[in-house]
Amino acid sequence: MQQPIFSLLDVERTYELRASGWLNRTPRQLKALDGVRLDLQRGDTLALVGESGSGKSTLIRLMLGLEPASDGRVLYGQRDLAQLDAEERKRFAREVAFIYQNARGSMNPRMRIADILAEPIRLHRLCEESAIAPRVVALLDRVGLPAGLLQRFPSELSGGQIRRVAIARALAAEPQVIMADESVAGLDVSVQAQVLNLLRDLCRESGITLVFITHDLGVASYLCEKIAVLYLGRIVEQGPTDAILNTPRHPYTRALLQAFPRFDAPLKASLSGEIPSPVDLPKGCRFAGRCAQVQAACRETDPALTALDADRQVACLFPVAAI
Amino acid sequence: MDCAVALTPQAADMPASPPPLLEVRDFSLRRGQAVVLDGVNLALHPGETLGLIGESGAGKSTLALALIGLLRAPEVQLQGSLRFRGTELTQLREADYRRLRGNKIGLIFQDATAALNPCFTVGEQIAEPLKRHLGLSKWDRRDRAAALMQSVGIPEPRLRLDAYPHELSGGMQQRVMIAVALACNPELLLADEPTSALDVTIQAQIMELILDRVRALNSSAVFVLHDLALGAQVCDRIAVMYAGQIVEEGPSDRVLAAPLHPYTRGLKSCVVELGSRMLEPIPGQVPPLNAMPAGCRFAPRCPKAKAICSEQRPLAEIHDGRQVACWFID
Repeated sequence: MQQPIFSLLDVERTYELRASGWLNRTPRQLKALDGVRLDLQRGDTLALVGESGSGKSTLIRLMLGLEPASDGRVLYGQRDLAQLDAEERKRFAREVAFIYQNARGSMNPRMRIADILAEPIRLHRLCEESAIAPRVVALLDRVGLPAGLLQRFPSELSGGQIRRVAIARALAAEPQVIMADESVAGLDVSVQAQVLNLLRDLCRESGITLVFITHDLGVASYLCEKIAVLYLGRIVEQGPTDAILNTPRHPYTRALLQAFPRFDAPLKASLSGEIPSPVDLPKGCRFAGRCAQVQAACRETDPALTALDADRQVACLFPVAAI
Repeated sequence: MDCAVALTPQAADMPASPPPLLEVRDFSLRRGQAVVLDGVNLALHPGETLGLIGESGAGKSTLALALIGLLRAPEVQLQGSLRFRGTELTQLREADYRRLRGNKIGLIFQDATAALNPCFTVGEQIAEPLKRHLGLSKWDRRDRAAALMQSVGIPEPRLRLDAYPHELSGGMQQRVMIAVALACNPELLLADEPTSALDVTIQAQIMELILDRVRALNSSAVFVLHDLALGAQVCDRIAVMYAGQIVEEGPSDRVLAAPLHPYTRGLKSCVVELGSRMLEPIPGQVPPLNAMPAGCRFAPRCPKAKAICSEQRPLAEIHDGRQVACWFID
């Protein structure tokens, strides 16, 4: 077995909340991530799926080293992200690119597209100064944009174009891993389809490892070969995309699939209630309060993520039977 | 050519059917030189739900805003007719419009956080139309507001009456806005992307709730949507809009299961479904308002376009129980 490019070992992230009154000094804790175990192989395409508040974005911030884990370890290759020295950090920043959810907001509005794309190349000294310009043109071409946009400002581009520029910027430093946060949310379907096809082709052609955050299971299934479903800071199910879609074993995954709008089935509100607050988590299974098949044991025992098959894991005491 | 008469299929098929609740005829809206809506024809009958579907810039929201009189002269120039229960809306005075809005026509917007006033409690905001349109007393309003909150699935409504919008989650705020919209039992509900900011599980809950309330009140609803599959699930009829025109309109099961217009087909092949293997994006993009093609507005992006398409605008024809505006319908 190949060495994983990323390993998360029981990663936990808690935020201390200020006590509400000055008489009440006991600080409360918000557990955004709790005991996340994840291995990412080189060339994997993994989608992190879940409702807002499930911890998807926190997880990716930890994997990018933007925040330290409160407990557990995040390994990139063999190295702990928390212990990288300056030189290693810089190499990490080149090898792991991030595409922000708000593509326009992630760019300096007073820089032209040419400069935005040249910056990472210059920063990492990837080529001679004279070779930067043709390289930037090639980058734009790779994401299907004309060179005529080079002298424009981010505000002059459409929603689809700006996402492509964000992808081009991520590619500029020739990364090995791309992490993307909701990169196609809020786009029109035809533009979304273009951006999805672009991302999919890039990953297939260059063997880039992709971690893609989305709340849309359809997008996840189109882009990624593996899916990890998160709920309240835990991975509740993970496995190959086809297996997750065809035989979801966790009741939450099944409910997400049922709520997904489709042409051939009536509307179905598969889940009642909302994702609870990550402060003061219940003792048993976190999903018990909304689960249709909840049993007495679920409120007592917190199920751990356990392997069903070689590549399939689920955290449920009573997994849905495979059909 | 007088196409307007032929364009109301109900009138042609069933002369004895009741008059439509809402009738849009040859309606155009200009903003200066730009033609934002061009020759829109629609009819909505009591109890029906209609989905306006298309990409941004298609004019869906503009049409919805024009219907409720929030886009009027002199800001924009209107042509043609908008009739609601037989009343011509384009000629209505603002004071009369105010009597309709929030009363006979309820509104639900996309962004509940922006639509609700942060300075008033949700109870006060639900009670406002009850005071303005129904003239209920203070205590009746409070009772009614609590009952409305209960009906839209807000737990412990008595306690939440005095909550401010920011104290509620996004899904709960959306429910509050639905309660405001339904406060006076409207005959028509306009919902502009009511769930696009919400998670799928909450989206399904909210859509089910809206449909449930609309049916309970025997009202009609117009949804502005960008999600075709959701449109298929919640709407009786679908109007597909492109660049300010309706290109295809009819019963949702037929329009979406077997689209006739190339644009509807193109849109459908872009939709990501569970386990989609291949998406085929429509090439090109929506033309800007100041440079609309002379003939069919979709012609530059259409795989089936021929010479006539870029010269003459196709008029909507009735085909298989729907109106389709295309020169080459199979």
